[in-house]
This record gives sequence, structure tokens and C-alpha cells, in this order.
Amino acid sequence: MTGWVARRVLQMVPLILGITVVLFAVIQAAPGGPEGALLESGRFIDPEVIEAYRQRLGVDEPIPVQYVGWLGAAVQGDLGVSFSTTRPVAEMILERLPATLELMGASFLLAAVLAFAIGTFSAVRQYSWFDHLGTGASFLGIAMPVFWFGLILQLVFGVWLGWLPVAGRGTVGASGLGDHLLHLVLPATVLSLRYVAGWSRYLRSSLLQALRADYVRTARAKGLPESVVVGVHGLRNALIPVVSIMALNLAGLFSGAVITETIFAWPGIGRMFVQAMFARDYPLLMGILLLGSVMVVVFNLVADLVYGLLDPRIRYE
Amino acid sequence: MTRLRRSVPVCALALLAACGGGDGGPEAAAGTASAGEARSPGILRIAYDREIDVLNAFTSQNLVDIQFSMVEGLVTTNDRNEYVPVLATEIPTPDNGGVVENADGTVTMTWPLHQGVRWHDGEPFTSADVCFTWRFVTAPGSQVYNRHEYLGIVDCATPDEHTVVFTWDGPYGYATGLFEAMLPEHVLGDLTAEEIVDYTPYNRGEALVGTGPFRFAEWRAGEYIRVVRNDDYWRGDSLPAIDEIVWSFVPDDNTRFNALKAGQYDWARILPTQVDEARGLDGYDVFLVSSNSFLHFDLSLNSDNARALFSDPAVREALFLAVDRAAIADQLMQGTVVLADSPINHTSPYHNDDTPGVPFDPDRARAMLDAAGWQPGPDGIRVKEGRRFSFEMLNRAGTSDRIAVAQVIQAQLKDVGVEVTFQTLESAAWTQRWRSGQWEAMVSAWFLPADPSVTGLYACEGSNNMTGFCDPELDALMERSDRTLDPARRKAALDSVQVAVAGEHRFLPLYFNVVPELVSTRIEGHRGSGTNFGSFWNLWSWRLR
Repeated sequence: MTGWVARRVLQMVPLILGITVVLFAVIQAAPGGPEGALLESGRFIDPEVIEAYRQRLGVDEPIPVQYVGWLGAAVQGDLGVSFSTTRPVAEMILERLPATLELMGASFLLAAVLAFAIGTFSAVRQYSWFDHLGTGASFLGIAMPVFWFGLILQLVFGVWLGWLPVAGRGTVGASGLGDHLLHLVLPATVLSLRYVAGWSRYLRSSLLQALRADYVRTARAKGLPESVVVGVHGLRNALIPVVSIMALNLAGLFSGAVITETIFAWPGIGRMFVQAMFARDYPLLMGILLLGSVMVVVFNLVADLVYGLLDPRIRYE
Repeated sequence: MTRLRRSVPVCALALLAACGGGDGGPEAAAGTASAGEARSPGILRIAYDREIDVLNAFTSQNLVDIQFSMVEGLVTTNDRNEYVPVLATEIPTPDNGGVVENADGTVTMTWPLHQGVRWHDGEPFTSADVCFTWRFVTAPGSQVYNRHEYLGIVDCATPDEHTVVFTWDGPYGYATGLFEAMLPEHVLGDLTAEEIVDYTPYNRGEALVGTGPFRFAEWRAGEYIRVVRNDDYWRGDSLPAIDEIVWSFVPDDNTRFNALKAGQYDWARILPTQVDEARGLDGYDVFLVSSNSFLHFDLSLNSDNARALFSDPAVREALFLAVDRAAIADQLMQGTVVLADSPINHTSPYHNDDTPGVPFDPDRARAMLDAAGWQPGPDGIRVKEGRRFSFEMLNRAGTSDRIAVAQVIQAQLKDVGVEVTFQTLESAAWTQRWRSGQWEAMVSAWFLPADPSVTGLYACEGSNNMTGFCDPELDALMERSDRTLDPARRKAALDSVQVAVAGEHRFLPLYFNVVPELVSTRIEGHRGSGTNFGSFWNLWSWRLR
């Protein structure tokens, strides 16, 4: 087992290296460059300044040279300095990480609880009114555009009812946990909706399949109570496909939720990424994308490990 | 807690300075109790549309206005596109003897500075700081966007602590509008220009000292910038009247509007399409600030096709006659914008009221195109010598207002037998194409400073002239207006520049954008400003009721 994990970790190195090559190439392939940000404001710009700017940032060098320079620093833990803010990329990402983890974590927790409840109940009471309602609501949740749903919730709970703040991560000057949690409610709800819808569908179909399996019939024949049949024999087997989906979604935890963060003015990584994208802030983009890629690779491994825990038949040698 | 409501007069006129009056009812009520917002009367909350990059007013790539709460310069611009002195006691002119043309062609410009001004750390602000700022801006590594405008200064002298004397290598009309900010020599003096550009403690605020009414307090990444009252402000102990300002970054236009409706903020820029609804909101006034953001329809001579189509001035005029600008302003922009006839805003003293406009006359447009030899072809599109009258408009993704305008132009030109195709590029890609000159037509906008010079836009070698149009006579006219120090003579020169530019029909002026500002009735003293220095130029005199 340990040897298997070590092998998997070693395999990650060339994989991530390859990913960085692709990322670097794709980012640079986008037309325009960081000097575009200079012109964004519509002011008159001295053309000499534009050239000097490109030179200072090093973007006038050939792309392979830039990549080698970036990689050389990155392996030593230096992700470079953001073009637009002149600050270290690692520092900027770390600064935004708590807000991102908080929002993503809260919505994952919320989504997991709701999805398990809805998915299990829908499967156990297949074709009941609850199941039909759950199906309808799930499709609605998958189809609902996040930006629209977010704005509607703002209007209802923020503007009309006045129960919740419309945007932000906290009231300036107020430091209570309550204030903080109130700000979290709307974005976490919006963000979890999609996961609730998706996961509960997966769990429902997976559990339906499990409940028709021979071992479940055997369990029932042994006279086990229904809660044990569903909870232990059914659910545990049904979880395997759901867990791999969740683990992959979990990787997204670190790269943030672009639209939700923008709509709710949440200071997470997703919003920073969009800004970096428009500004062609190459080092910051690389930093964020690298973090996201590493997380995907790592959580893939985690998913594989969790399979082993859920299903004793799966063994890693 | 109840939400107190009262009706509020809506100020909808551009630059209405007397706005914000009211009957003085119970205030400090625009909060939602359940959201836990205990609103202190001294805190001004602003919903700002983006997180800015750096706090150095010279090197920021964003429009600089938050900075002006902390940092002051020799001058700023007011709501009438005029320069007003800040750290200078008056603006030097030939009339007051501050500007003298010397026999050798150089110009001496003497700025008298306020006495008793101290930086936020207690150090005195002196003329040496002005010269230090000049040395930074003109250093090759400073990358200040308008560095070239400062290069005419060949010497900076400090006869005493409160007088600074610039020697210019010649007369420049724009000379009075520079130095909108000051850098502290005692903080940054040991650094090179390149090091200052990258100096994070200043860029981020911790080491930022200014002379402004507010001092830096906190910058929470992705959330807000907070400044607090400068108790040592040079304008007097009672100023500023506000204790604290928080600029929260709220990037989404709809969210910003919702948050104001919920009373979370006191001030925000909103969209023209939100103005109608905003007028009905209790507790807020709508300011329609006529911005110097000048929208225009540009033609180019860059490609063979463009040259074949647009070289004839009569053809260009015909195209412009076919565009119903009033419909664009009234319907598309819901009557919030001001039609433009010149790149210089109507609010500026340099605007020429006699600049000929372009009427909407599609019949004359057709007749002129016929006369120029462009006859309708089988598909309705005009043809001349085997060439169809068809060109490509380059759009910038995300600028929905400009793309909507482009669509109207496309439809109206089709009415006179001209085909317009679209290509839409993402912002940075668009910029690259624009600079490379590989385009035929576009709807574009400039954000012009209060200084009325348009040379950079229209001169043959103008740094922002990517159209391929070139007219040496116009160049001579513009050069004269740029090298005139006397405001009256400069106005006369610019009057003829505006008429000459209009006569060339190389672009169609559309309108001056409005930047609608939703301002809480708690705020007194807000006057707005349409220049690229923004509406916070007089924050020191704002009050909260």
C-alpha cells in the first residue's frame, strides 16, 4: 500500500511538469499581452512606456526562455511576482485561500448533507412524490444559471426582506462570527445548489442499483432491519461512484468559484483569477492554475484511496 | 429597527452642483438591522467596481481616484473640467506672472506652495518633494503613462521650501495640468525609479504617506481599502468632516445596485440602464456626470479595402449622415448621454460651440454615395469598379454599450446600401489589433483629461492615432494650440482645431458617456467630475449627515 502511494506520487512529478508546459503555452497563446491593461483605462499612453513595461516584465523574451525562467524559480518555491500588483504570487494566493476554502468548504458541507439526504430518500422511496419533486428540483438546480439565481436571492433576502447582506465577506468594523456567517449564507447556498443537484442524482441511481443487488436481498432475508440494509449494505456500496465525483469536485475547492465570487463580491481565488486573466498577469495565472492542477492530481489519488476504505475488494499493491 | 423612508428630490442634470439638498429628515437609517450593520455616522461606505492594482497614483494602470483621498498634487480637476490648485496656492499663468517666456525660448513656471503642509508621518512637505516627484516621473524606468508630457521640464529649482520653479524647454499648453500627485522624498528618496515602481510597502499602502485628508489604514485583499481621517490635515482642524472611508470592491454591476438598494453602501457608480430604477430609490440621489469618456465611430485607412472605401471625404461624410445619433442617445442610452460634436466635452471651457455637427439625413447620404460612383448592386449593397461597399467593424468583447451602438450603425448603414461585418475580440486581443492598425472600423472611446489637447489622437504621428489618417495642416493647427500658454489664445487655436477635425469626417463623434453615480442623501458636498481624476477630487469637503 505505502509503496503504491509512493509510486503514484512519483508519477505526479512528470505529469505536473507536463501540465505546466501546456498551461504556459496556452496562457501565452492568448492574443494580447499585459500591456493591454495599460490601455484598458482609455487614457493616452506614451508608446515608449508600453515598450518599457513589456521589457520590465520580461514578456519581450522568447516564450521558451520565459518558461525556463519561471520553472527554475518555481521549483525553488518562488512563483514570481504579479505583473499588476508587484507582489509575490504565492503571497497573493495564500491571502485569498482562506476566503475560498471557507466558501467552498461551507457549500460542500451543505451540498453533501442535502445530497445524501435527498439521494437516499429518493432511492428508498422510488417514484414517490418526494422522488419526483427531488428529480424536478435537481434538474432545476443543474439548469439554473448561477448569476441569475444569485441575483434573485440577493433581491429577495437582501433587498426585500433585509435578512441577509447582499455582498461582501463581512461588515467593515464588525468582527463577530455571526456577521461573518450571515455573509456566507447566500454565496454558499448558490454554490451548493449545483452540487446538491448533481450528487443527489448520482447517489439515487447508484443506490437504486445497489438495493437490487443479491447481497441486499440476502441482507433482507437475514431479517436485518431496513435501516441497516440501506445504511450499511446499500449506501456503502452505492458511494463508490459518488465519491470519485466528489473528490474531483473537491479539487475545485482551491481554485474558487468564479461567478459566485464575483456576484457576491467574495474575496476568493476565482475572482482574482478572472482579473488576472483580463490583465494577462502571467505569473499570477500560472500560480493559480498550478495550484488547481496539483489539487486535481492529488484528489484523484485521494479518491482512489477512499475506494479502498469503502470497498474491501479493492486492494492496492 | 425600522427603515425610515422619505422622499428625496432626484437630481438628474449633468454636473448639478447644488444637488443633494433635502429637507433634512432623520438620517443614518439606510441600514438593514438584521444584517448586523451598526452604521456609525462618520463612516462613508463606497461600493467600488473593481479592486485596484497599486496605490502609487503614478504607476497604477487603473483610473486613479481612491488614491486622491490620501495623496494630493499641485492641482486636481473639478466638475467643470478646470484645473484647481491643491498643494499650490495658485496656478501659475502668464497673467499672474507665474509663467514667463524667456528670450532663449524656454519658459519659467513658478509654483507657490501652501505652508504648513505635513506628510502623514509628520515630516514637512516642501518644494524638494516636488522636484523629487519630477525626477521619478521623468526617469526612464518610471513607466508613468504620460511621462512624455513631463519631459519638457529641463530643470526643477527650489529657491525656498515653499516655491518650486520649473524650466520648460518651450511653451506647452498642458503644463499646468501635470503633477496630480506627490511622492515623499523622505520615504522613497533612497530608491531608484524601478525600485519605486516595485516598492510593495508603498504600492500596498503600509508605507504610503501623502498630504491628503485621509491616511491609509488597511487593504484587505479582494475586500476593501480603508482610510481614516488625517487629524493633522493642512486645510484646518475641522477638516475633513468624515472619520473613515471604506471602498469595498463589488465588481458585479447588478450586485452593486442591489447592495445600494439594501442600504449597504452610500456611493456607487451604476449603469445607465439602471438610472430609471435608481431614480425611484429612497435615500439616494442620482448624479448623471457627463464624463470625458468620448465615444466615437472610427474609420481607418489601414487596409487596401479601407483605403478604397474611405479615402474620399464625401463618402465618409455620407456614411456619417446615415447614422441616427439622436436615436442612439435617446433610445439605446435612454437619454442619459450628451451628443458629441467634438472630442472636447461641453463642460470644458475649451469646447467650441460652433463646431459643425453631423445631422441625420439618409437621403443625402444615398445621393452622395451615388454621386461618388457607388451604385446599388444586385443584393442592395453598393458596388464601384467591382468592389462591394463592405467593411469589418472590430468590437471589443464585454463593452456591451459599444457593441450595441455598433449594431445600430450596422443596421443604419445597411439602409443606405453599405455592409458592415463584425469581428469581436476579447479586450487584450482587441487592444493588440487596434495598436497594430489591422482594422477597418470600430466604435471606440477615449477617456480624456481636463487638458483639451487632442494632438495625440489626430496628429499624423500621434501616439494614439492608429487610423492612418494624416493631415499636415491639421498637425500645424494642433501644434500651435499645444504650444500656446495664454488660455484665451489657446482656446482660439483649439476652436479652429475642432472645426477642422469635424470637417475631415475621419470619425463620427457619438456621445459623451455618462457615469451615473448613486449618492446617498447622507452625503453633502459631492459634486462629481467627468475627468479621469474622478468624483473624489473634493473629498476633503464632503460631509455626512
